[in-house]
Amino acid sequence: MKHLQKYILFFSILLLASSCRKENPDLNKPEDYIEGNFSEVFDSYWNGMNNNYVFWDIDTTNWDRVYDTYKPLFAKLNLYDSSDVVKGYGYFQEMTAGLIDSHYDISFKDSWLADQPSINPAYQRKVKQPDYHIPISIFNFYRTIPKKYLDAGSAVRGFTNTADRQYVAVTGRINQDILYFFCSAFNLKSLYENNDPANGVKPVLQAFFDNLKNTKNIKGVIIDVRGNGGGSLADLNFLMGKLVDKQVDFGQTRSKLSNGRLDYSPWAPAFVTPSPDGRNITAPIIALADSWSVSMAELTTMVIKSLPNGHFIGERTWGGNGPLTANKMYNGGQFSTSFLNLVYTSSLIFKYRDGNIYEGIGFPPDQEVKYDKAALDLEQDKQLEAALKLIR
Amino acid sequence: MKSKHLSFAVLLWCLNMITQAAQAQLEVGVSGGYTNNYLRTSTGYRTFTKYDNRSGFVIGIPVRYHVNNWLAIQADPSYIQKNYEIKRTHFYDGIYQRNTISYIQLPLMAHFSFGGKKLKGFLNAGGYAGYWAGGRIKGVMANVFNSGPDIPAGEQIYKYLQFNQAYEYNEKYEFDSRRDRRIELGLVGGIGVEYLLADKFRFFVEGRYYYGLSDQQKNYMVNQIPRYNDTYVLQAGCLFSVRNLFHHAPVAASK
Repeated sequence: MKHLQKYILFFSILLLASSCRKENPDLNKPEDYIEGNFSEVFDSYWNGMNNNYVFWDIDTTNWDRVYDTYKPLFAKLNLYDSSDVVKGYGYFQEMTAGLIDSHYDISFKDSWLADQPSINPAYQRKVKQPDYHIPISIFNFYRTIPKKYLDAGSAVRGFTNTADRQYVAVTGRINQDILYFFCSAFNLKSLYENNDPANGVKPVLQAFFDNLKNTKNIKGVIIDVRGNGGGSLADLNFLMGKLVDKQVDFGQTRSKLSNGRLDYSPWAPAFVTPSPDGRNITAPIIALADSWSVSMAELTTMVIKSLPNGHFIGERTWGGNGPLTANKMYNGGQFSTSFLNLVYTSSLIFKYRDGNIYEGIGFPPDQEVKYDKAALDLEQDKQLEAALKLIR
Repeated sequence: MKSKHLSFAVLLWCLNMITQAAQAQLEVGVSGGYTNNYLRTSTGYRTFTKYDNRSGFVIGIPVRYHVNNWLAIQADPSYIQKNYEIKRTHFYDGIYQRNTISYIQLPLMAHFSFGGKKLKGFLNAGGYAGYWAGGRIKGVMANVFNSGPDIPAGEQIYKYLQFNQAYEYNEKYEFDSRRDRRIELGLVGGIGVEYLLADKFRFFVEGRYYYGLSDQQKNYMVNQIPRYNDTYVLQAGCLFSVRNLFHHAPVAASK
């Protein structure tokens, strides 16, 4: 027992050292914060982004600096003062200005912000670019192309309206053996399976698929996704699966795995699975896309570019190609708070097969043909003409 | 010159005597056993997501220096696995990642022994430093680009992997220098019994607990959820007196 004091001292030091672990931060679902003051509004949003935004690996926004700068600024605002609420809106604009996620969009619940547009950093950056232009009019695709470029009698066009979107599709032949297909957004599989007689997209799809099946010597296929705002990922197999007879690997995706900003899953392969009736088209397949081609339109373009006979003509795309789904599916991505209707953001990161991530910068064409307003006004589609020239 | 040679000879003799004395008190050996690691962290509010402990193994080369008959200093350079798993449950069942984490570790402990001459109980207590040498990740994730066959209308769905089919992976863990802290410091405690056979081989069985004090991540973000290893070890091994190894003569255990 003469060593008892030494033992007590030794084990006391051990016990003291054992208390050196850090506490877990108090993290809660962003939507569970109460909208009681602007500090809560800030904390729910900042933590939601901190744990759910999937691009922290490559985004250059210093999110910790945002915390240090804006936490005290929000703390000074009064949630029940309309001018402070508008000032808070401005802070949200500043905080998000550099985020590279080009799907990113914040919409607000607060009635004092009802007149304010949602905050969309990619759009705000886009309008400041020197080569910014508005989307090509839908009438170029719906009226001019069938009238001027498609073979007489071959054009099939239609549209259908859903609660939140209009879907327009056009198809036809050019010089008998070049197939053309345009869609303004992706929800094709669902619309094809929808037997509503008012659904104008289904006949267009049927005509395109019939042409693919029945045209003996296809000289070229043009898939036109200019101005296409994206949509359902299921359409990738549904549409592109018809143009191939074996799997097409065109990139990889990864999601968040845990809460840390840099906690990611491994990269999983991104591929197109051929349809049972998929035909191996060996003629040139050309994607027409522009700076208004977003998300699924960009992925479709990337699939085409991955084909040995694939080409991409037009402009660099929008740059928002990370797939989206509910937060719970991949433990990351979009979320809401009591103040924010929705923080719309990607669930996964997409990396193209060349190893590059084109999020925020857009996918570049291999033949650039810029938007030409003067030509379009004269019903001349220079981008479509470049595609036809390449095929011929 | 002669005095120099004489001084050198005396020095050598002294060193030899010290070494012999030290050899008599020094033991080395081998050990190995089972590990079970628990990653002390939090999944926060993640939907149906949890961390589970996982088994692994440890092998070591214990080195023990006897200060007297009840106290020794022991170092235990070893390779140890601190494995864990992150898995999703319920509707997301089947999605998981098993992390096989390898550390090269050096525990330094005070070894307190008690009991008879041959059969003794002992306590180990001290600290350790480890180096996160490598890892492997194996698992299943849902592949958003692999939707698989359509689910017929009206059919019930039991697993998320019916929507997005499984992607199985088994690959080397890629360190992220912005996040991963590869040095781990912590406390260690153990309890066991040892038996001296033929005054030459000291066999032991020990239960040990490694309590990590270093977050596995550098401080790279505000509101970071820390990750600490709690590792339980059940191991056995054998120690030999260094003098016996070199001189092939049995030496009694330290007095």
